[in-house]
Amino acid sequence: MSGSGDLDPTVREALIARLTAMADDELILGHRDSEWTGHAPLLEEDIALANIAQDEIGHALLWLEARTALDGSDPDELAFFREAGAYRNVRMVELPKGDWAFTLLRQFLFDAFETELLARLARSSHVPLAEAAAKAAKEEVFHLRHSGLWLERLARGTEESRRRLLAALEQLWPYLPQLWQPLPGDAALAEAGVVPDPAELEEAARGRIMAALARAGVEPPAEAVPNPGGRERHGEALVTLLIDMQSVARADPGVEAW
Amino acid sequence: MAAAAPAGQGPRWEVFKQDAAGKPHQAVGSVHAADPEHALLMARSVHARRPAAVSLWVAPADAVFAVTAEELEAAGPWAVEDGGPNRRFLAFRKTSHRRAMTFVDHVGEVEAPGPRAAVAAAMVAFPEPPALTWWVVPADDVVASPEEEAGAWFDPARDKTYKQQSAYGLLAPGKRKRVEDG
Amino acid sequence: MSRPAPSLDERERLEAFEARIARGEKIEPGDWMPEAYRKQLVRMIGQHAHSEVVGMLPEGFWITRAPSLRRKLILIAKVQDEAGHGQYLYHAAETLGAGRDELIDALLAGRAKYSSVFNYPTLTWADVGMIGWLVDGAAIRNQLMLAQCSYGPYSRAMVRICAEETFHHKQGKEMVMTYARGSAHQRAMAQDALDRWWWPSLMMLGPHDSDSPNTPQLVRWGIKTKTNDEVRQEFLDEHAPELMEAGLGLPDPALRFDEASGHWAHGPIHWDEFWNVVKGNGPLNAERLAARRQAHEDGAWVREAMAAYATRERETA
Repeated sequence: MSGSGDLDPTVREALIARLTAMADDELILGHRDSEWTGHAPLLEEDIALANIAQDEIGHALLWLEARTALDGSDPDELAFFREAGAYRNVRMVELPKGDWAFTLLRQFLFDAFETELLARLARSSHVPLAEAAAKAAKEEVFHLRHSGLWLERLARGTEESRRRLLAALEQLWPYLPQLWQPLPGDAALAEAGVVPDPAELEEAARGRIMAALARAGVEPPAEAVPNPGGRERHGEALVTLLIDMQSVARADPGVEAW
Repeated sequence: MAAAAPAGQGPRWEVFKQDAAGKPHQAVGSVHAADPEHALLMARSVHARRPAAVSLWVAPADAVFAVTAEELEAAGPWAVEDGGPNRRFLAFRKTSHRRAMTFVDHVGEVEAPGPRAAVAAAMVAFPEPPALTWWVVPADDVVASPEEEAGAWFDPARDKTYKQQSAYGLLAPGKRKRVEDG
Repeated sequence: MSRPAPSLDERERLEAFEARIARGEKIEPGDWMPEAYRKQLVRMIGQHAHSEVVGMLPEGFWITRAPSLRRKLILIAKVQDEAGHGQYLYHAAETLGAGRDELIDALLAGRAKYSSVFNYPTLTWADVGMIGWLVDGAAIRNQLMLAQCSYGPYSRAMVRICAEETFHHKQGKEMVMTYARGSAHQRAMAQDALDRWWWPSLMMLGPHDSDSPNTPQLVRWGIKTKTNDEVRQEFLDEHAPELMEAGLGLPDPALRFDEASGHWAHGPIHWDEFWNVVKGNGPLNAERLAARRQAHEDGAWVREAMAAYATRERETA
């Protein structure tokens, strides 16, 4: 078992990269979800999705604070003063929010993967990571129920909802594998028991997703799709997103407090 | 259930929240949702954003039979349903005019052939203190949040201290030196 | 418009009703109430609900742009609360027989009013703090008073809203005080926000008593327990000195403390602007409603899908 102080330098660097990647996923997805505030199809869902966005940003903070313990970095500095090229989120989360089907299906795919990832990270040999993962895993239960509910209702609702769901699935499917694609340092982390075996994690996540699609009566698209590449590659969507997100902070960079 | 316009807000569901084990479920408001599972998720999102909660119930608003003490008095002899098999009803009542956040409290169960008979049975089963308003709901119409997920559904709200006013302490503008320009 | 004189029976009922209110009893759904009482409440509660929902837009705009992760979390929580408050209020209106579909239709068709204060734009990040301090500060005063309302569902909604609103007020105050003591840029931003939000906040507490014909009836029926000017005075006495102590200037050259009464006095309010905004000609009236209409229309297929799924589930159950 390790705490923040007693990691091998290679493992430490790899863990910093992994925490950053996970935080970036949550922060960017949270941003996309929060764009729905005031615009959701039902007042109750406005509240529900805003709460989910809040949880995700909370998770980003959890991971960034775990990184702070390793290298003294400042979460706000990382969030508001890195360029798009320095972000390490998966492409899937930066895609524009689209319609309700796109947002909720993206959410479901992410939640399904997260559920498997967090369950395993909660058993990490690195105690601070295990504790953070256990906390996030608790909130994830509700997220998965919510996005899972929408997968069912859109698939088995009207012809229009099914059509939109299938269109979203076609769009999102090529980006899915990047979620479980290991980072360069993950091998060292897996060996140290800090993160789970990537092959086993992928199998569990795929299994969960396929089972849910089957229950909803939805066929997954064909598998042969282009690889979006490593997490350092982004689209213009992320540039626009960060301009939005960072504008106020960057207008007055030296402030003591916001 | 009453038919709703297809693109409308959907049916209404009354929501009952239990703050802690051993305390009664209390009516906290309602949600609009299309089906019972959705209603539960929406109930948690709308009504359990702050501590404390350990359980939620939802029931279609149409399934709730409500009657006030004033209505009972004005009605005269209370005509009840007769015949037919007994069904389980959950009974809720309000007993005070004191200002509060919640409405009726769960007081127990009765068996009756219909809602009017259920109210009559509840008045006999739970006579003290006198109720100002009675609600009875068929037990079969009440859907509960999953007990085994209570931790996941309700614990996270406790940690979000930044949305509690107590997290902001005493705020006095005070006479602080301004940060110098430049 | 003349109404027929109430029958003896109706007069007795009215007396009994008013006696209940005088005794401090809550009127609950199902109890007898004069039609005018029901109508006033549906109007007031509906307007209040619409204000909360429309109010999500000016602040929601800044969620994606919040300059720190903590502020972002706080703002998401606040805007969620506002949606929640709208939700509790629609619920209260529904107990009086007004369906949520009808209420929303009225708002989107421009037939329903909502607080004029949300027709002003949020031009900077500091506006978010100023809204929390002033607009929510004014709202709390009003809501504390309404929590004593004779109609049970409205009273209960108010008690809950007050409990949640205090956090909004405090976080807004904390934000503005931080900026008033912060960098030159932050101070200028805070002052500019105050310059634009001060008068709208004073005006949101409603017209002067002399211009509020509804008030005496509302007081009699325990719906309002204080007049607009009384609440405005409370608001002024609390906020004027605090804002000045924070190092900000109030955009009112006539503002002064009256030693004799122990109260603050403000300069003349420009009511033309208020009435113009209330009538729908405010800076962002059209935009706010257009945004809500768009959201409603965009969501139609989703609500249809929800309904279709539910119908099928019931049929196959």
